[in-house]
Amino acid sequence: MEKTTLARGTSKTSLIRNGVIIAVILAVFIVIPQVTSEYVTYVVVLALIYAVLAGSYDILTGYTGPLTFCHGAFYGIGAYTSALLTLRAGFSFWLALPVSGITVFLFAALIGYPALRLRGHYFAVTTFFFGHFIYLVILNSVKLTSGPMGLRGIKAPESILGLNFSTLQGSYYLIFVFSIIIVVLLYLLVKSGIGRVFVSIRENEELAEAIGINTSFYKVLAFSIGAGVAGLMGSLFAHFFRLLHPTTFAWMTSEMVVIMALVGGLGTLIGPIIGAGIVTLILELMRFAPELRFIIWTVALIAVLVIEPRGLMGLIRRVKGGEK
Amino acid sequence: MSTILKVKNLRKEFGGVVAVDDNTFSVQQGERLGIIGPNGAGKTTTFNMIAGYYKPTAGTIEYEGKRISGLKPHRISRMGIGRTFQIVRAFGELSVFDHVLTGVLAHELHFRPTPEQIEKAEQILELTKLNPFRDTLVKNLTIASQRRIELATALATKPRLLLLDELMAGLTFVEIDETLEELRKINEEMGITLIVVEHVMKAIMQLCQRIIVLNYGRIIAEGTPQEVANNKTVIEAYLGEEEKYA
Repeated sequence: MEKTTLARGTSKTSLIRNGVIIAVILAVFIVIPQVTSEYVTYVVVLALIYAVLAGSYDILTGYTGPLTFCHGAFYGIGAYTSALLTLRAGFSFWLALPVSGITVFLFAALIGYPALRLRGHYFAVTTFFFGHFIYLVILNSVKLTSGPMGLRGIKAPESILGLNFSTLQGSYYLIFVFSIIIVVLLYLLVKSGIGRVFVSIRENEELAEAIGINTSFYKVLAFSIGAGVAGLMGSLFAHFFRLLHPTTFAWMTSEMVVIMALVGGLGTLIGPIIGAGIVTLILELMRFAPELRFIIWTVALIAVLVIEPRGLMGLIRRVKGGEK
Repeated sequence: MSTILKVKNLRKEFGGVVAVDDNTFSVQQGERLGIIGPNGAGKTTTFNMIAGYYKPTAGTIEYEGKRISGLKPHRISRMGIGRTFQIVRAFGELSVFDHVLTGVLAHELHFRPTPEQIEKAEQILELTKLNPFRDTLVKNLTIASQRRIELATALATKPRLLLLDELMAGLTFVEIDETLEELRKINEEMGITLIVVEHVMKAIMQLCQRIIVLNYGRIIAEGTPQEVANNKTVIEAYLGEEEKYA
């Protein structure tokens, strides 16, 4: 887990180095749709969505502590809310996007308030069933969601300032910019006083209470923020892919998010984001063997957890030396 | 002197077991009160009820004239009651400075800690002599140091009443003396009322002005350290055990 430091400045050289690294990464992402195939662009869009999902997942599970298995459900609620608002209620995408984020935020608060009274495994199991419950609701509410037939005819985001978002490239840049904004906001959140409160709950909930922190409130807040971001990404996905099917939001998706966060390293924010990239890439590379890839993948995951349970970021820190 | 804490007919049952049995006592502002008793006498249970971790089965607790029994721990902390735990609790992944700063921030949350809050954390590090460890991760320190950090973090929340649960367990004689001096300072200079649960008899006899003795959940004696030490019932309750702890 990350060593949190708030009141200390970073040295100038490392600031410049980090700046250069970030600039290079941004440049690479900007040229991707110009120089690569449509297929690669498409995969990168999915990776970006997953990266933000894993990053938002980290707010509760990584920074605040409770393990959840229902991130895919919040992603799905966001996607269907946004799609239905535009299809049935005539909302524009630009209104449906924040509305679905807020809806999922409130919905998660409603679920989280009673559920987060449970601790440890009990809470984790509850979220698992909750996730599956949402999937079943989407699957079986045929009149509303078209269930297993899938929801078709979702519109692309309306163009603004002359920018066209109906093309693959347009969607790519929209989702890219949006992801950057969300990740920066999440970063500011975890570095803020609120982020510090989250970490104190993860480290020792009883002590956090003893020093006056309303732990139930902050746990629900972390849960809802993570869910709200998943809802926003669901909305973006709906209007990018323009076809929704319940299986996209089944337990596999929730599981994927957990795996990405674990591979990258919980409680580091950047770890789960990188983890999402790695996992998406590996899964794409293994498309030649669809039956085998989950077996290979599972073995690889167990290996990660045995070798370095704190994921990639833990490994990096260990290689850099010092802390064990 | 006014009464800061008033405990009336306080009772706690776990299933059929009576852990705390209709106890009544009060604590004066600025006092150093000790609570002693054999294992399982109900000392920690009493603390947990005052701090809001357990709901009393019956009875009331009043703090500064307001009823606090039944409130959540964080509410009670915000009213000015700090505590440390019998089994040390700490935010292991934080540095010592961040740990104490979290205590400062807990009651007054800012997006970024203000300069005054950082200054306050610095002062407490100074006071508790934790400065040499300021950048060390708490989990890498000894239990004795972690106890000091717990105390420092409790102080950071600006308490008016501090509940210390076996703060000196496992410390060396030198460390006990240092801690005693520090606690006196906290009490006399900062005006914080102390209630201390302790098995280290020497420490509690030196520190406290008044001692309450619990046995099987009941108060069996109350008085100055001298009175308590000579009390027949108390000696009986300990069955010679005091030699082991003396």
